[in-house]
Parts: sequence; C-alpha cells; structure tokens
Amino acid sequence: MRLHWLAYSFVLGLTVLSFYGLISFGNESLDTSLLQDSYFYSILGFTLKQALISAVLSVGLAIPIARALYFLPHLPYKKLFLAFCLLCFVTPTLIVITGLVALLGRSGFLTPWLNTLSDNHWNIYGMSGILIAHVFMNMPLAVRIIYLELQSIPETSWKLASQLKLNKADCFRIVEWPTLRNTSILLLCFIFVLCFNSFAVVLALGGGPQSTTLEVAIYQALKYDFNIPEALTLAWTQLIVAGGLYWLISRFGSLSWKNVDSSRNVWRPKKGTISIQASKVMYGLAWIILLLPFVSLIPGLLDSKLSRPDIQAISRAAAVSIGLAIIAATLAMSIAYALLHPIRQAAMGAKLKRLWLLESVATHTLISPAMVLSVGLYIFLLPRIDIEQWGIVFVILLNTALVIPFAVKKLKPRLLQFDQQYNRLARSLKLNRRTLWRIEWPFIKEIYLATFGLVLVLALGDVAIFSIFGTTEWTTLPWLIYGYASSYRIAEASAASFILLILCALFLFLLEKLVHKKLALRPLMNQKLTDEKQHKEGDTHA
Amino acid sequence: MRKTLSLIAACGIVNSVNAADLTVYTYDSFVSEWGPGPQLEATFEAHCQCDIEFIAVDDGISILNRVRIEQDKTKADILLGLDDSLTEITRKEGLIQPHGIKLDTLKTDLNWHDPNFIPYDYGFFSFVYNSDKVSEPAVSLKELIDSDASVIYQDPRTSTPGQGLMLWVKAVYGNQAPAAWKQLATHTVTVTKGWWEAYSMFLEGDADYVLSYNTSPAYHVIIQDKPQYKAALFNEGHIAQIEVAAISKYSKNPDLAKQFLQFLISPEAQSVIPTTNWMLPVINNIELPAVFDTLIAPKRIGFTPKEIAKKRKKWLREWRSTAN
Repeated sequence: MRLHWLAYSFVLGLTVLSFYGLISFGNESLDTSLLQDSYFYSILGFTLKQALISAVLSVGLAIPIARALYFLPHLPYKKLFLAFCLLCFVTPTLIVITGLVALLGRSGFLTPWLNTLSDNHWNIYGMSGILIAHVFMNMPLAVRIIYLELQSIPETSWKLASQLKLNKADCFRIVEWPTLRNTSILLLCFIFVLCFNSFAVVLALGGGPQSTTLEVAIYQALKYDFNIPEALTLAWTQLIVAGGLYWLISRFGSLSWKNVDSSRNVWRPKKGTISIQASKVMYGLAWIILLLPFVSLIPGLLDSKLSRPDIQAISRAAAVSIGLAIIAATLAMSIAYALLHPIRQAAMGAKLKRLWLLESVATHTLISPAMVLSVGLYIFLLPRIDIEQWGIVFVILLNTALVIPFAVKKLKPRLLQFDQQYNRLARSLKLNRRTLWRIEWPFIKEIYLATFGLVLVLALGDVAIFSIFGTTEWTTLPWLIYGYASSYRIAEASAASFILLILCALFLFLLEKLVHKKLALRPLMNQKLTDEKQHKEGDTHA
Repeated sequence: MRKTLSLIAACGIVNSVNAADLTVYTYDSFVSEWGPGPQLEATFEAHCQCDIEFIAVDDGISILNRVRIEQDKTKADILLGLDDSLTEITRKEGLIQPHGIKLDTLKTDLNWHDPNFIPYDYGFFSFVYNSDKVSEPAVSLKELIDSDASVIYQDPRTSTPGQGLMLWVKAVYGNQAPAAWKQLATHTVTVTKGWWEAYSMFLEGDADYVLSYNTSPAYHVIIQDKPQYKAALFNEGHIAQIEVAAISKYSKNPDLAKQFLQFLISPEAQSVIPTTNWMLPVINNIELPAVFDTLIAPKRIGFTPKEIAKKRKKWLREWRSTAN
C-alpha cells in the first residue's frame, strides 16, 4: 500500500505545479525591486498588525466565554451554541460583510444606539470594522476549541485542588492555565494565519488604501497588472512570514480539534453566585452577539420576491454546490487519512523531526496563498488541457487541497490517541488490516463525520477557486450570489445567501446530531474489541 | 472519483465533436440568464445558420489574461468584454487582428476609429444618490470632493469603476490630484474591492453617493419601479467606459467573427444590450424604455487608451499614497 505517498504527491504536486506554472511563464524571475518600495513594507506592516490584533482579541474574548461554558455544565442550548460557533467560522465572508453592515453600518440597526454611546463617533469602517468581522468569524472557533480543551482537564486535578484548598487565583494558575496556555498560543497563531490571508473583509470594511493586505497586492499583481515577478515576490513573502509562524505553531505542539463529547458528568468546583450570574450573562451576550448579524439579514430577505426562474437557478446551483462539496470533502477526508498514515508511524516511533516534516507538508496549503495556487495551476494547465471540460475537476481538486489541512488537524489527535491505546494490543494480537479497521472505525467515526461536515461546509463556500476554474454550466451557489450581486440583483443575492447559510447550518447541525447518536453506542466499542480478540483466538485454534 | 472522471471525460469527447463554429470569450454576467448573451446567441445563430459558443470568465481583465496565457493555443475567435482602458495593452501583446468594419454608423460622440476594436456599449462613470435623501446633489466633481457628503467608491487596483474615478480626478485636477484625494478621503466611507460591495453598501444606506454608472437609475426604474435613485451630472464632464470586442489573431473563422462583430453593432443587437447589460447603445435611433431618456447625458472627458497604458501605474501609486 503506497497510497499515502500518492496522497503526499497530490498535495505537494499541486503546489509545485502551480509555482512551476508561474515561474515558467515567460521565464519570469523574482522582482526584488519591490523589496525597496516603502509601499511594500507599509502593507506588510498593516497585514501583520491587523492579523495580530484580530488574533489577540479573538482568543482573549474566547477564554472567558469558554470558561463560562465549562464551569456551568447545564447551560441551556449549549450544544447548539457550540455548533453555531462552527457556523460563524465557516460563514462565507460576503454574508458576514452584509450582515455587519446591516447591523453596524451608517444606517445599521444598532448604529443610533452606538452613536449615542460614542457621541456620534461610531464608524464601522476602518480598523474597527476589520477587527469586528475577524473576531466575529474566529472568536467562536476559539471558544469551541478552548472549551473542549478545558474539558480534558482530569477530574482528579480539580479534586486535588479543592482538597489542597487552593484559592481561585491558584486554581486558575495551576489547574487551568497549563491547558489554556498551550491552546491559546496555538489558536493565536492559527487565527493570525487566517487573518493574515484575509482579503475581501479587509478591503470592504477597511475604509481606504491604508487598509491593504498582502493578499490584495497579490490579487492586483496577478490580475490587474499581470505582473508575475511581483506576484511571486509577494507570494514568497507571504509563505515565509505565514510559514514562519506556522513553524512556531508546530514547535509548540499541535492544535487539537476536539469534538463535542456527550456531557460527561465531570466534577468541577462550584463557583460563587456572582461568578455564576456573570457567566450566565456572558453566555447570553455571546448568543446575542453571534446571532445579531444573521438576524439583521432578515429584513433584506423579506424585501426580495423570487421569481420562478430564480428559484430554479438557485436550486440548481445549490444542488451543484452540494455535489461538488461532497466530492471534495470525501476526497479530502480520504487523502487526509492517507496523509496521516506515515505521521502516525512517526509518532509511534517517536521520530519527532520526521513527524514535524510530514505534517508541514500535509498541511502546507493552509499558508500558501490560495490565489497563487489557483492562478499558477491555471497558467500551467491552460495550454495543456481543455479547461472548459476539465475546469470543474480542478475546482474540486483545489478545494480538496485547501481543506485538507483542516481535516488533517482534526483527525490527527484522535488517530494518535487510538494508536496509543490500541496499537500494542492490536500488534500483539496480530490483527490484520481489515480487522484493525473494524476496530479503528468506531473509534474515529464521530470525529470523522464531524470533520467531514466542517470541510464540506468550507468547500461549499468557495468562490475564489470557482472564479478561475469554474464554467457557467456548473454554476455554484456562492458564484450565483456574486452573479446576482454584480447585476444589481441585490435582493436575490441576499435570498440566495440566506439559502447558502441555511445549507451550511443544516450540514453542520445534522452531522453534529449524527455524531451524538453514534456516541451513545460508544461502550459497544470495547465489547467489539473483546469480540475480535475471541474471534481471532478462535481462528488460530482452528 | 474515477467514475466521475470518466464520466466527465465522456462528456468532453461529445463536446469536442460538436465544437462550435465561433467561440466568444466574455465575462460572466454577459452570458447569465438575465444578461444579453442568450438573446444575442439565438438571434445570431438564426442569421448565420451556425453554432456559437460563449466561454465566460470572471471579468473583462480575465479575458485578456486568459488569451495572454493561451497565446496561439486559444480557442477564442472573439474577445468580447474588454474596455477602452485595456485596448492598448491587448494590441501591444499582438493578440488580435484588424476587424475591417466600417464605423460610420456609430454615434459620432464616441469618436471611435480603432482598427482592431468594435465598441458595443458604453456608459459614463457617475455618482449615484438617493434623491429622497439628497435633495440638492453636487453639480461638479469639485463640489462633491469639497463637500462633506459621504462617498463609497471602488479600489482602482481591483475594479474598473475605481480606475474610472482615478482617471476622472486626474482629468479634472491634473497635478492637484493628490490634494483632491486627501480631501475626498476625509468623507470617504470606504473603498471596496468590487462594484457590487460598494453598491450594496450604498443601498443599505451607508453613503450619500456611490460610484457607479449613469445608467444605474434605469435598472431601478425598470426592474424595481424605484425612481428615487439618480446619477449626478457633473459640469466638468465624465469619464466614459466603452466596452469593446475584437477578433482574435488566432481565429480559425475570421469571416464569421467579422460577421458577429458587424451583428453586435446592428440595431437588432443594440436594442437588446441596454436593458440586459444596463449600458447605452453605440448607435443612434434605438428604441428604448422611456427612462433611458431621463438619464443624464454628460460631456465626455478623459485620456486616450495610450496615455492610460503609459501612466496608469504612476497614477495608482499617487492614489494609494494620498487617499488615506
């Protein structure tokens, strides 16, 4: 089975081909004169600044909310809240922008109130708008991850802390902080990288050319100036800076993307009444803040009357989108599983360098600029294949490549956990591959399905890749939204956006539901293992 | 996956057997259901007893980029959807051939003598406002820039209207442009990546003025029955955007391509374009919905495509360092 090396060639191959496409086109080299331009440094500085503040704010705000969730295990609708957190993270940026403008723009619902508070100085456009949008999209993800990480604090730690009569501050410092610190640093880096690559949000809400990120410059260089040397220089800068941070991430260990476990009744210290009330208020506020931008879309929605052809176009595009996203997600999950095989081997052999190297390769598409990847591949492919016939295949493949890092990151901890618990046993029992899989599958199933939902929804929202490789007969829902919007049909666009949002939510909630159903069957797994063992023994005896 | 691939491959084979007689590269909204593409295709195919195929890319500049990459391997017979600011670059790249069509039916105001490009519609960049909110609109670019009315426009690095405003300010202010940008920045709400982000923010009520086209109000009247949206007429004159088409240098069917270009400026095609692409016809005596008579008809100012090609970079740099 050399399938996993095939998977590595796939992810690496796409990147290599796209850079080859760019570099070989007219034998272009790097444009180092750009590095002497003050403009370059000002946008690099701005990119770093907004990404850093966005990351710090997202994580800083997430910690108290996650702690509130953790210490009050019986908050109403908690699971729904955690699923909703994921929805905010994957909501297409164009919906976020529209929602925030309807809420906080000059004629926004909250604006009169904000103006009273700020003495008529409220203005969403500028750094504030960028930060609000970035925090809105990333803070919920951080809440989710920190909360699930807190849950991994062993019950015994709390019991011990209470026996030792540690005060609140010490409790925090000794019990929570080691967990929080690790997760927070990793989240900071992760959100930093995402905001570093942010584009549409930054331009739309930034207020002017002072708000320009590297990604905008790459877009301009590739599209409007067709200046490939400049685009390459920018792309390398982005790779080096974002990659440098990524390197930091890997050094600190890796972010685990846990799944919502069924509420185990773990003992936690009781909080004082005031702190319980404060946590409840915070939880309520978090709900309101996350819901408001979506709610503010509704009036615009009621304004739109969809005609029959519109409904047909929307349903067709929705069907295409779902189909493409399912294929991309399935591929991404299979490839991620294959990519993880040597990583698991390396982990079991405690070969840390190898593990780090393999993981960097497997997840490198997280940091490489998507625009460069797709345009480079486009340049490489255009003279070689018929893009009208094959374009849609590359829409799928590139979307697959871009969501693979998420799948790898989410699956990895669970698979490593499996290896840790069962690998020796499985080896001593000399289980064959098929039997091993029958034990492994129930173990990873829940995370596998939840991850499938996440990458599916991420692929569902794609416009960047479709704008380059897509063809009219395969119009996807996000692309249709842009189509409507770019021909004045803004009401139809908002209706279609809402449908896209509902689709995303449906997939996320359904899969989360499915996961919990399956979770109830979990005790069976150990039973199964014993069965396998007996079965195996039976075989050898016979 | 293998199944899907072979399925797609199978469709591909069928497709290539039925290769069209004429392939037109254009932008997406031109061929969308509500764009002019479908009607033009049907009418022209009935004329020529041939099969034409539209291949749509993201936007005008993407058409140029695609043929730049493809060079002699291009499928395009016709490039449709570039604008006058791109004609010079396209010519320099040697991607097109002369059309050999007589241009005397075109509106004289267009002053069009290009041997390679045929214009098929045009519009003037204009600031659109809601007359329910703004009762006395600015009458000149200078008045608007000196006022404190809130404005949303598009980034000249990433959008055509944005580039239009850059030329406009340059044409009106010349060397004083940096000061004008600084002044405008004091009451600019935001600068967006593309047209629709700006326009939808304007419709949400986020600005008094948005940069768009003089034809925008026609859409609101015809489709939405909302007469309050108007374009402001500026006495310095406006920058025009002229959308053009040309025959690819590598066309395998240049005669048919020429026929298509001829068709584009025929009364038949010209009466379809205004209400589907929301731009003005390039020939006179086209019957249009009444609202088109109420649109502003500005004086045209600006630069030649050659000047734009030469100075665009410099002006962009000027904009990005002063419009803060």
